[in-house]
Order: sequence, then structure tokens, then C-alpha cells
Amino acid sequence: MRKKDGKWFYIFISPWLIGFLGLTLGPILFSIYMSFTNWDLFQSPEFIGIDNYKTLLTDDPIFWKSVGNTFFYALISIPLGMSISLWIAYYLNKKIKGITFFRILFYLPSVVPVVASSLLFIHLLAPTEGLINQALAIFGIQGPAWLLDPNWVKPALILMSLWGVGGGVVLLLAGMKGIPQELYEAAAIDGAKSTQSFFHITFPMLTPVIFFNLVTGMIGALQTFAQVFIVTAGGPDNASQMVVPYLFQNAFQFYKMGYASAIAWVLFIIIMALTLVVFRSSALWVHYEEGKANE
Amino acid sequence: MSNPSTVEKTISYIFLILVGVLLASPFLYMISIALASDATTVKSAFTFVPMEFQWSNFYTIFTNNNLGTYLKNSVIITVFTIIGSVLSASIVSYGFARIKAKGSRFLFIVLLSTMMIPGEVTMVPQFIIFRHLDWINTFYPLIVPSFFAGAFNVFLIRQFVMSIPKSLDEAAMIDGMGHPGMYWKIIMPLTYPILAAIAIFSFSYNWGNFMGPLIYINDPEKMPLALGVQLLTTVGGGQMPPWNLVMIASLFLTIPMVLVYLFGQRYVYEANISGGSSGIK
Repeated sequence: MRKKDGKWFYIFISPWLIGFLGLTLGPILFSIYMSFTNWDLFQSPEFIGIDNYKTLLTDDPIFWKSVGNTFFYALISIPLGMSISLWIAYYLNKKIKGITFFRILFYLPSVVPVVASSLLFIHLLAPTEGLINQALAIFGIQGPAWLLDPNWVKPALILMSLWGVGGGVVLLLAGMKGIPQELYEAAAIDGAKSTQSFFHITFPMLTPVIFFNLVTGMIGALQTFAQVFIVTAGGPDNASQMVVPYLFQNAFQFYKMGYASAIAWVLFIIIMALTLVVFRSSALWVHYEEGKANE
Repeated sequence: MSNPSTVEKTISYIFLILVGVLLASPFLYMISIALASDATTVKSAFTFVPMEFQWSNFYTIFTNNNLGTYLKNSVIITVFTIIGSVLSASIVSYGFARIKAKGSRFLFIVLLSTMMIPGEVTMVPQFIIFRHLDWINTFYPLIVPSFFAGAFNVFLIRQFVMSIPKSLDEAAMIDGMGHPGMYWKIIMPLTYPILAAIAIFSFSYNWGNFMGPLIYINDPEKMPLALGVQLLTTVGGGQMPPWNLVMIASLFLTIPMVLVYLFGQRYVYEANISGGSSGIK
């Protein structure tokens, strides 16, 4: 029976195994090889050693600009988004009438496909007739030309990312519901105010969810593509160019397949390194309940 | 939380309404532009409340702008990718959850580690493979990969299957049932809620997917809505794109997502619990 089991195991997992070999492992090996070649798709690949990496790291200001922009975007949009979603989740957790309506309303923007929200934000961010600058004008503030201004184009993309903050809120809210009521009652007996119980109970108990939001948010932000491609095309003057759109441009517009593969591997190393750092740091600030840590 | 006081309630309502207005206004603006007249579009003089309601936009976009074709393509791609991702992940996860074999632990670790590789690494070689197969300008590059079981989905279903009592299979085994029967008749039906969640994830990803079609589809007749709507905006010669029609197409892109969320949130929530809140992407 054991022997037969082995056969069935491989039959059952064959869809994944074939896909892994053909669409993951094979392409990974191929991609490593390609990153050491000069290949325009039409002529046969020419082996050039580490030249692609050398050019990328020492002689390509646009690549460095796109890395800088990607980090800037991630470093501001993630902490900002996480603080706002924590704030929103705190209020959505109140027992008041109509709260279900608000929960649905706040979540909806995060289900809007990024193509649709990108096209919409081109309008919202328009210099004079855009809704955002019209709203600012009510308060006597003259808004910037957002997408046309190198200083404001990244903040504009960050603003856009904040519209979808509801996705993280849902998980925080679920986390809040899981916190035992007795903890708050005990704290209240000890005379804790609501801000105190937030920082001493709610926040520590939510750190696993916050950690999850941080990791997925970070990986997502480093892979930003459609927003940049549709809303700004990397402009003005590469002020909003990011790593994945730059990779795409090299591969499918300039047909520099080898160079694009090298960018992909540098991106992979950046993502891996940062994920590792965040995971390592989690021991310092993520609070796991006893016995739940090995789940 | 205990019942809040009146002051607390008032502060909460003020906060919620303010944030609600901020988050809802882009939706209203989308609808407002969708109903704007062509004259307004040309002058780019959109107002929050449309100056005139041009309902004929809905008619125009179907007759002049291929919306029907884009929608049909999106539906075909989405239906097949849902079938592919649910079916393949379900079968594979049974193997990993219920059959002990040499190498199964190792392969499961390999499966988990593939989740860490960003799609961009395999994007270029996959393009070259599909180009060799002559699959450019077909739906195959968008549909076929979903039949090879996504690692995340396998992991999610496996977690769920692990929580089903083993005694169930043992009883069936004694009755002479083999693995195919056990999978199909016993385990699979018990995983319907998580399969529904995966169908929803697959729908959300594929309905709005932009990069895949952008890489593989050039022919407007083959484009799904997410790509077609963007094509509408790229009119040449310094002409103003028909923004009112673009926003209608964006509405068509958005509304199914909203409906699926409203009807499917129960399953997504369940997936979160069984996956240890690793569900929502």
C-alpha cells in the first residue's frame, strides 16, 4: 500500500510539478543565463558575462533613479497607509448603528481594479479641473500640478495608494475582534483610559496582523507597475519611474531581454534582503500569544 | 468593546462620515464623468455633478468602441482561469495533505519557497516560451498557467484539508476506497468554502489583470476589458480621449468586482481564518 501511495502522490501533485518545472524552475534557470547575455530576441543571444550587471549598477542613472523612487514610494506609502488603516479600524470596531455600512464603504475602493483607479486618478489629480485641486481651492489652497510636477508626482501616486487602504483595515478589524474582552475589562478595573488600553492591549495584540500587512505591503510596493505605466509613464523626467516599469520597458519596448533579466534579478535580491530584514526584526516587536507562535 | 458613550459616538460618527466622504467621492466622480457630454469631454470641464446627463454614452461605447468584445474576452479568460486555478490547486493540495510519500516534505518546502520569487523573474523567459509556441495574441498565455496550481492556493487548501479528521479517510480506506474516490467524494466536497474563496481570489486577479494582457495581446479584438479601456485613452495626434466613455468602461471593470465582494465576502473571511490570516492579497 505504501508503494502505491507514492505513485498516487505524484499523480495528484503532477499539475503543480509540471508547472514548477516548465513555468518556474526552467524559466528561472533560463533567466539567469539570459542575464549574462546580450539578446534582442531576433539575433541569437551573445554571452557577455557580467556586463549587464556592471552597466546596471555603475552606468545607468535611470535605473538608480527608479530604485530611489520605488524606495521613496514604499517608505512613505506603507507607514502612512498602515497608520491610517489602524486609525480607521479603531473607529470601525465601535458598536454603533450603521457600522456595517461604513465597513463596506471603506473596503470598496480596494476592490477597484488598478487600471480603473489609475484612469480615475488621472482626472482627480488634474491641475485645475481635478477634484482634488477643486477641493483644495475651497480652502484657498492652490494645489500643485501633481502629475506634471517632478516634486509632486510621487506624492500623487502615494495619495492614490491611500484610497485602497481598506484592504488592510479588514484584517486589522478581524484581529481586533479576536482580542479577548476580559483584557479590556481587567485594564478598566485597573483604571486604564481608552488611549492607554489601545497602546497596551490593542496595538501589541495586533502586531502579528501589522507584520503581515507590512510584509505584503512592502513586496507589493516594490513591484508597483500599472499605476506608473498608466498614470505617469514614469514621467515627468523619470521622476516617477520605478523598477518594474523600467524592467518592462527594457524587455518589451527596447527588446533588451538580457538587460531586463538582470534587472529582474537585482529586484529579486532587493525584495529578498528587505523581507529577511523585516522577518528578523519581527522578534523585537511582533507579539505572539503563547503556543500560537508555531502555528 | 463595551457600549460607547454619547460623546464617543458623536466623535466616531464625525470621523467615519468625513473619511467616508473622502473615500466615496472618487466613485461619484467616476459616475459623473461617465455621464458627461462629449462637449464637456473635449473642453475637459468636468464638474462634480454633471452639467447634463448623457445616457447615450452607454449606447455609444457598445456600438463604436468594442466594449462588448472586451467584455466577452474578459469573461472567457476569467471563467477558464477560475476553473483552472480551483481545480488544479484542489487536486494538488489533496496530494500534499493526505498522501505520505518519499520526497513529499521536500517538495512541499519547494512549493512554499516558490511563493517568494517575484513574478518579474519568470516573466521574460515565459514570454519567450509562449512566443516559441506561437501563443502571442491568443488567450493561452493568460489561461494555461492557471491550470498548473498556484503555490499560494495549494497552501491555503492544504491548511484547510489538514483540519479534516483523518478518521474519515481511514474508514473509507477500509471500505476499499482509493485515493481518487476519496478525493472526489469525501475531501473535495468538504473544501467547497475554501474553493469558493480561491475562485474569488482568482476572479479578482484575472478580471483586473493588466500586465499579462499588455505583454501578450496586441490585437484589439482579443483584448480583455482591463487592457481595452486603457487603449481607449491612447488616441493619437493630441486629440482628447473620450473620457466619458473611458469612465463607463472603468465602471464595467469595477462593478463586477464590487458585486463579487458583496456576495463572496463570507468565503474570503473563512479563507482568512483557515489560512491564519494569510488570505487577502
